[in-house]
Amino acid sequence: MKNGLALFLGAFVILALSWAGLLLTAHQQLGSLSQYKDPTDDVLYPQPLSGVADQGRLVYQDLGCVSCHTQQVRHEGFGSDIERKWGLRGSYARDYIRDNTVFIGQSRLGPDLRNTGSLELHPYADAEYFYKLLYAPHSVAPGTNMPAYTFLFDVHPLAGRQPSDKAISLPGKYAPGAGYEVVPTLRARALVAYLMSLKDPFDYPTERNLNAAAAPAKEGAH
Amino acid sequence: MNSTDNNARTEQMEIDASAKWPVLVFFGSAILWLIAGGALQLIASIQLHTPSFLAGCAWTTYGRVAPAAQNALIYGWGMNAAFAFGLWLMARLSATTLRHGGWLFVAAKFWNIGVTLGLLGILGRFSTSFELLEMPRFVTLILLAGYAMIGVWAVTTFSIRNTENVYASQWYLFGAAFWFPWLYAIAQIMLLKAPVRGVLQPVVNAWYVHGLYGLWFIPVALAAAYYFLPKILGKPIANYYLAALAFWWLVGTTAFAGGSRLIGAPVPVWISTLGAVANFLLVVPVVVIALNLFGTLSGRYSALQSSITLRFIFVSILGFVLASAFNLALSMRGFAQVVQFTLMTDLRDWLIFYACFSTAMFGAAYFILPRLTGKEWRSTILVKTHFFTTALGVVLLTAGLAAAGWQQGHLLNDATVPFGDITKVLTFWFTFRSIGLIVLLIGHLAFLINFVWIACPLNSRGTPLASFHQPPDLSLPNPAKAATEGHA
Ligand code: HEC
Repeated sequence: MKNGLALFLGAFVILALSWAGLLLTAHQQLGSLSQYKDPTDDVLYPQPLSGVADQGRLVYQDLGCVSCHTQQVRHEGFGSDIERKWGLRGSYARDYIRDNTVFIGQSRLGPDLRNTGSLELHPYADAEYFYKLLYAPHSVAPGTNMPAYTFLFDVHPLAGRQPSDKAISLPGKYAPGAGYEVVPTLRARALVAYLMSLKDPFDYPTERNLNAAAAPAKEGAH
Repeated sequence: MNSTDNNARTEQMEIDASAKWPVLVFFGSAILWLIAGGALQLIASIQLHTPSFLAGCAWTTYGRVAPAAQNALIYGWGMNAAFAFGLWLMARLSATTLRHGGWLFVAAKFWNIGVTLGLLGILGRFSTSFELLEMPRFVTLILLAGYAMIGVWAVTTFSIRNTENVYASQWYLFGAAFWFPWLYAIAQIMLLKAPVRGVLQPVVNAWYVHGLYGLWFIPVALAAAYYFLPKILGKPIANYYLAALAFWWLVGTTAFAGGSRLIGAPVPVWISTLGAVANFLLVVPVVVIALNLFGTLSGRYSALQSSITLRFIFVSILGFVLASAFNLALSMRGFAQVVQFTLMTDLRDWLIFYACFSTAMFGAAYFILPRLTGKEWRSTILVKTHFFTTALGVVLLTAGLAAAGWQQGHLLNDATVPFGDITKVLTFWFTFRSIGLIVLLIGHLAFLINFVWIACPLNSRGTPLASFHQPPDLSLPNPAKAATEGHA
């Protein structure tokens, strides 16, 4: 190769093709996905996040929960995400159009959280459970290596005041001691609102059909 | 004959002299980041088996320290080292001195301030949580401005070259220098400036991450291998005529392989299929490059004994082949079904970045710095320590993370195993990883000490002056001569 120009053009064309071929094509296909109106109850799915939950998304983002948790349920026949109760079904692209930032993640040091707010799948997962998990992970998951997020909570002396109605109750060993209470900060409350919003309850007929068509092929490939 | 050799030598010395300070500044910053990033990485690793370690403070929580470590290593160590090596090699191969080097100091300042601010941003709650783009948006322009000065300089040097042929290392360097700013700017725009919707974000992110590893770090490492092997062994690259084919094939397919990171993800299936096909096609250039490089080494393995640079480059080539094999394996559905999302995924990228790229930069530093400073490495024990710990660390971590990922994947796929039990099993492997990282850190400290001795004007007083043996070290036909053979 003697020609600098050929090198430059080649390098340029490769990058342009890869951008157009991969990103632009994907954008064509996915960029205009819209909510789906369920004809039976006239509700649009996926439902948008509430304002608080969307603030919680920012907390999730800045604390880097994505380094240990994925938010993508793999379909039946590819891994055992469904058996682990991480979802009622595999995730679809349409599920994510409500998320301003998409954290599908790539590490499962912790469980998948795409449906962690679904009481149908995890009856125990109420707000109290999430607060306990965040303040003292071992109080609900003994031996886990999920870090404690104590800095999302204020520990107040009661000093004769009425206890706050937001204070969380902790089992003895994890409680801050008599005369103290643990109150989640605004950030903690937003984060928990976000966690509770994490569920994909609706199964879109369009996607389901696509999936049904794809499933036998997958089976055959095994 | 002798006089042309001498001419070539003076010329090289002139070029080296012109490159001295910019290269030293970039290498110096790189090594400091290597230590800082390694320390952060160790903290994050310890937190996985001892979660109470530095917990309780938002700045040091795992979810921030881990990406901060990764960014310090990639943008601090990796990019700075690549700049140092790339600038030096571009000048040498273009047979032109480095002009207006002062701008490069400004560029280095910009770049390093950008990385520092970016890391503080990650630790101080401004992380974006996009892989390898966690640094907050405001540093983008600082980094791009710094890069522009470096990139423009590299391209200018290339275009005023005094050589007729363009050698393989130059293709790789030129390509990398061109691709990085585009990948980075496009990813920034599509993810942070004007974010695309929904799962397009992970698609863009995967495209960027794969591009950064495959179109920046791997090309720079290969540029080193293609340069140092013939240079030190004193013989041309074996089957050089195939190198151009391998180059275009490698970069052309790598550019489309990013989708392989999204197997089973909620994106259209063609994206991961295209990635898998690209990874299959990559077998050809990887084999050709291995033929080029191992072919050059064949029969001369004894030379590894006497050249620390060659030894590091040898590890780097092995790392390249292994990383490519891993990439291919991970894009196959059956394998991905088990090891996706496990420590094995970390291993794939670590092999590229550490086993392939970082080792190449170590090798390059051991070659370049004595020539720039005119001094010897003061402590051979430290040099040996560095190589030994690197080799040991690479073997330990590769074997350990592969085994760990395999086990983790099988446990994750067995829905009867409670999650707590998986964590318990992994605790052993996390501890193992911490030990591996400590081993590497020892080597990096040895490297730092030697670097200070050779590069710092005050400290280097007691360091002996370097004397370069004639062949096969310096009087070598410049690789451009080898290039002619391929392009008759
Ligand atoms: C070091 C890795 C790590 C980080 C970082 C981490 N987690 Fe976890 N997380 C875990 C592990 C491990 C578990 C599993 C606990 C168990 O059941 O043994 C878990 C469990 C959970 C669960 C319970 C899931 C269920 O179905 O019971 C939730 C919710 C959760 N994490 C949320 C978060 C949030 C929010 C963050 C960020 C603020 C976070 N995690 C950061 C490792 C992590």
